Amino acid sequence: MSDKDKRTIAATLAAATCSLLGSGLPDPVQAQEDPTWNFNTALLYYGEDDDRVQDLSLSILANRTYVDDRVLTLGVTLDGLTGASPNGALPQSFPQTFTQPSGKKTYTIDADRLPIDDTFKDTRLALTANWQQPLGRLYQFNIGASASREYDYTHFGINSKIARDFNRRNTTLLAGIAIARDSIEPVGGAPDGLTAMANVGDLSNRRNSDTKDIFDVVIGVSQVISRNLITQLNYSYSDASGYLNDPYKLVSVVDGVTGEVVPIPQLPGSEGPSHLYLYEHRPDSRAKHSLYTQAKYHMAGRVLDISYRYMTDDWEIDSHTVDLRYRWPLGGSSYIEPHLRLYSQTAAEFYSLSLVDGETLPEYVSADYRLGEFDAMTAGVKYGWQTGGGNDMSIRLEFYRQSGDVASDVLIGNQVNQDNYPDLNAIIVQVGYQFGR
Amino acid sequence: MKVRPVLILLVIFGSGCSSMGVEPWERDILAKDEMQLTSDPVEAATDDHIYFSKEASSGGRGFGGGGCGCN
Repeated sequence: MSDKDKRTIAATLAAATCSLLGSGLPDPVQAQEDPTWNFNTALLYYGEDDDRVQDLSLSILANRTYVDDRVLTLGVTLDGLTGASPNGALPQSFPQTFTQPSGKKTYTIDADRLPIDDTFKDTRLALTANWQQPLGRLYQFNIGASASREYDYTHFGINSKIARDFNRRNTTLLAGIAIARDSIEPVGGAPDGLTAMANVGDLSNRRNSDTKDIFDVVIGVSQVISRNLITQLNYSYSDASGYLNDPYKLVSVVDGVTGEVVPIPQLPGSEGPSHLYLYEHRPDSRAKHSLYTQAKYHMAGRVLDISYRYMTDDWEIDSHTVDLRYRWPLGGSSYIEPHLRLYSQTAAEFYSLSLVDGETLPEYVSADYRLGEFDAMTAGVKYGWQTGGGNDMSIRLEFYRQSGDVASDVLIGNQVNQDNYPDLNAIIVQVGYQFGR
Repeated sequence: MKVRPVLILLVIFGSGCSSMGVEPWERDILAKDEMQLTSDPVEAATDDHIYFSKEASSGGRGFGGGGCGCN
């Protein structure tokens, strides 16, 4: 067919379309309303070794499409957390006693063991709602809200996004904004940063509660490159201000020569910490910048999903995350998807294993392992299949490993004999079920 | 200012895009569930929550958010 023929056909079609529109149809054609809800559900087990955190979580995401592609999405997640979390103090060659966060009792950690606080137990309920609708032919508008509640933490947030299609809908620009107000009501109160862990019954350095505000902006572009390749590039900015401490985390105060934590003599009849520990103190603001890029490539039924994220913040943490998934169909109705995720971060500028007794206190300090320098790897596999009723089921099994790094030149005295940053190993098992479609 | 290089990147990305893409009738593969940028939103949210709790980074794909006092 010559170019001239193509132009003639295009012109004829255009003329026919115009005459149809001009003649006025009796009723506008409307998109079909989906009469049912679609459900995407998952049951997750996350378990860390050495009796650390265990989480059993149920998530339900339901959506319904109304006339004109308007979509309502509602989500609920219920988490049940048990186990223990490192309290930030260093392992020592002798037992250590700590006051529980409640301030009502003490707990003792054996010699050469990483101090973990096993009093933590929580249930978390999180709700989300989102409304999406087209605005005109090329814009899509989203508005949403989120709320969550756990024993010591409450979150409320709202968010909105707008996207516009360009270039025959091959390019989409997106901009979004989210604000949140979180309230922290720690067990026993929120300790003032850099104050010493007190004896049982002494809550003089605690406040009842505190808050933090979070402001997020995201701008991005997604681009269809070809019939089987789509890409995305996002920049996001997140600003948190307010109480950013972890109220349960401590820093050991150590002797400058031996590197061992300084003992506190307990008077007869009193109960409290055996050694000197200060509550951590982080800056009251944090600004994060992230650049995220993703590509999805379809190769004869197989799908390669690769993404990379760079993050930097004003606490001097830089991180790199690479995520790879490869979905491999097995026959017509099932697939297997190996997954590999690699993560690496630098330490916050105020991260410190310990503080030296007698030296001037720094303005900010934290020994929280999550603010240290470490690498992490997740490796796993997901298997998905279609049930007899046409619904989708999947199961995934993954292993997560965090390996921390403490430079030998920051270790003092006997600290070299301890594993100051033990590896974290966790297992992730998730069963997913989608129905109603 | 860190925002500027990102904006420049977006403009370069955007200006090169007008010649890329497919026609509406060539979207058969792109329309598949497994070709959506977030093909499993529940799994994505679960992962975001796990890694938010265990690492110092969050967000990227969407809002960095928060919403938990995670241990």
